[in-house]
Amino acid sequence: MAEKIKLFVNGQEVEVESGKNLVDAIGAVGIEIPHLCYHPALGADGNCRMCLVGIEDGRPPLVPACKTRAVEGMKVQLDTEKIKKIQHDVMEFELVNHPVDCPVCDQAGECKLQDYYMQYDGQKSRMTVPQVRKAKHLDFGCGVVHDQERCILCARCVRFTRMITKTGELGIVNRTDYARVTIFPGRPLANRYALNVVDICPVGAMTSSDFRFKQRAWFLTSSKGICHGCSKGCNIFIDHNREKYKDDVIYRFRPRLNEQVNGYFICDEGRLTYKLENEQRLTQAMLNGKATDFGTAVEGIRRALSQARKPLFVVSPNCSLEEMRAIQQLAASQNATLCGYSDGYIKQGDGDDYLIQDDKSANRAGFDLLGIDSSQSGFEAAAAEADLLVSFQNDLTRTLGTEACGQLKERMNLISIGSYDDALSQLASISLPVASYSEKSGTIVNADRILQRFAVAVVKNAPPVSLIQAVAQLGGEITSLESAWEDLTASVAVLNKVDFAQIPEQGLALTDSEVSNVAA
Amino acid sequence: MSAKIKILERKGSSLYERLYLFEVFKGMAVTFRHFITNFLDNSKLLVRHYPEVKPEIPVRWRGRHRLTTHEDGTMKCVACYMCQTNCPAKCIMIEAGERTDGRSEKMPVRFDIDLLECIYCGYCVEACPMEAIRMDTGIYSVIGEERQPFVKGLDELLATKGAFTEEEYKKGGA
Repeated sequence: MAEKIKLFVNGQEVEVESGKNLVDAIGAVGIEIPHLCYHPALGADGNCRMCLVGIEDGRPPLVPACKTRAVEGMKVQLDTEKIKKIQHDVMEFELVNHPVDCPVCDQAGECKLQDYYMQYDGQKSRMTVPQVRKAKHLDFGCGVVHDQERCILCARCVRFTRMITKTGELGIVNRTDYARVTIFPGRPLANRYALNVVDICPVGAMTSSDFRFKQRAWFLTSSKGICHGCSKGCNIFIDHNREKYKDDVIYRFRPRLNEQVNGYFICDEGRLTYKLENEQRLTQAMLNGKATDFGTAVEGIRRALSQARKPLFVVSPNCSLEEMRAIQQLAASQNATLCGYSDGYIKQGDGDDYLIQDDKSANRAGFDLLGIDSSQSGFEAAAAEADLLVSFQNDLTRTLGTEACGQLKERMNLISIGSYDDALSQLASISLPVASYSEKSGTIVNADRILQRFAVAVVKNAPPVSLIQAVAQLGGEITSLESAWEDLTASVAVLNKVDFAQIPEQGLALTDSEVSNVAA
Repeated sequence: MSAKIKILERKGSSLYERLYLFEVFKGMAVTFRHFITNFLDNSKLLVRHYPEVKPEIPVRWRGRHRLTTHEDGTMKCVACYMCQTNCPAKCIMIEAGERTDGRSEKMPVRFDIDLLECIYCGYCVEACPMEAIRMDTGIYSVIGEERQPFVKGLDELLATKGAFTEEEYKKGGA
């Protein structure tokens, strides 16, 4: 815990954390200092002047709050006439050349300029000369669309490409009215985190071509989720909306702050994985190439299991801990071999030293915790003697290729329980649709062994059955998350101190040492 | 503060009234008197001969919606979804797309108003920042045999003209 200090805001004593600047320190106790250019991940730049505050008896008397460290006994003034006039004037200045095209701007509803105008400005434009016209709808690459007229030149995007991605594609050229954010000629944004500039832009100058004009911000419901694009497990907001007469559809992923995992940002690839949740989903149970209802398909799998001499269960590294445990129990009761062979989910050399990982599955660490073998040799040995293969969301065609899976099918019965209409579910004799990660709750362990829980975000008009329930219907003992938790805490040493119902939002770092577990 | 109380005599309790038949014949006499006078001369009838004679629609009267256009024929709507957001009946369904006519950046590719759900409150007109949607068509009767024709699409809303001149509309204070 950081040290606490006491200071005064508008004459009122507040206790804040030391070592932070005034915007963060006072913001943490619920008093907002308006700011446009400052972003906690990008540091203080002090160019917007929106955060100017008065310091009583201070030298100098006016300071930018983003660049001023909170000090014991400081007397900060936010509500004096002078400060209010500064905020009002800065807003008026920002809006001098702003096109005020909020009706067509995607940022409307989550725009700092709109919020601050309502809060601090609220007057009509006094401009009598024509506004400076700049370029609109510029394609900056990586799906970023820039509007120079809306830009307030806070340089957040410029600092992002310099400080975070260290690629420096963006810059501000010219001065005064002619200043604008731009790319170097012929050198568009080319980094794997570029779409974060859309999030950090406080106004609508940076928009995403993927989300452009799809929805207005106020229609969207933001649910907390965890990205399953790779083993980092970045925290995200799942923005979804159920339009009239339609289904609940995800429109975008946005990064959610988690200092322990991803910080303020996510990668573009993960951000766009929301499309997989909407498209190419397996919604219909299939039995020998014919559509059937869920119950019949479950009955078919039960029959196949009872007839099989030696079943092989292949579990996906994207399954949650609870699901893995449920499948493990089912495998034990059915005398089946359990295997997590999924090398196809690993893209060797794709990761970087920031967020992106080689392993494109979310919970491979869960295999280690539960002792599920995921080696190729283990799979081959088991496949040699098996006569039934049941895949639990594991698209084996990614690992073996479609052809090899076709050869497997000649030797044994192939059953797929999955969420996507992938190549394996088309090959399988029975395919059973289950909920995907945005539609279920669960717990996963990321590459850094941080245990994170996620809850149901999207509720479809016809909600798919969760994998745990599907396994229970096949004869598994675990029927709910709670029963899975009891079992996990009882049987897995690392998890025996974990209270699954109380996993903190920031996640829980799993270590083998008892001390840190108790402290957590 | 005491309320003013007026006591009314309850009628219908005398023997003459309770005999019922006399009162019925008195009522029938009134009815037949009206029938015969109107039958012989219907020029003084207080009834409008709808649908031969249409009612006069005032400027502020909220009729069926239309989408307005600029002078060069391009639509004013920029698909900001304000009308859809403000609609209490949730009868407006918009899909936005890229605009190519140089007016703005955004325009609706789909703009449906379900007139069976619309309550004709006029909130969409109030919400519109572009004066793109108006209810000044004077159309008060929408007829169809199925549900589908009641969902008015972009083309139909744009094709409908207003029933009043611009000056009249502005003066109407709508």
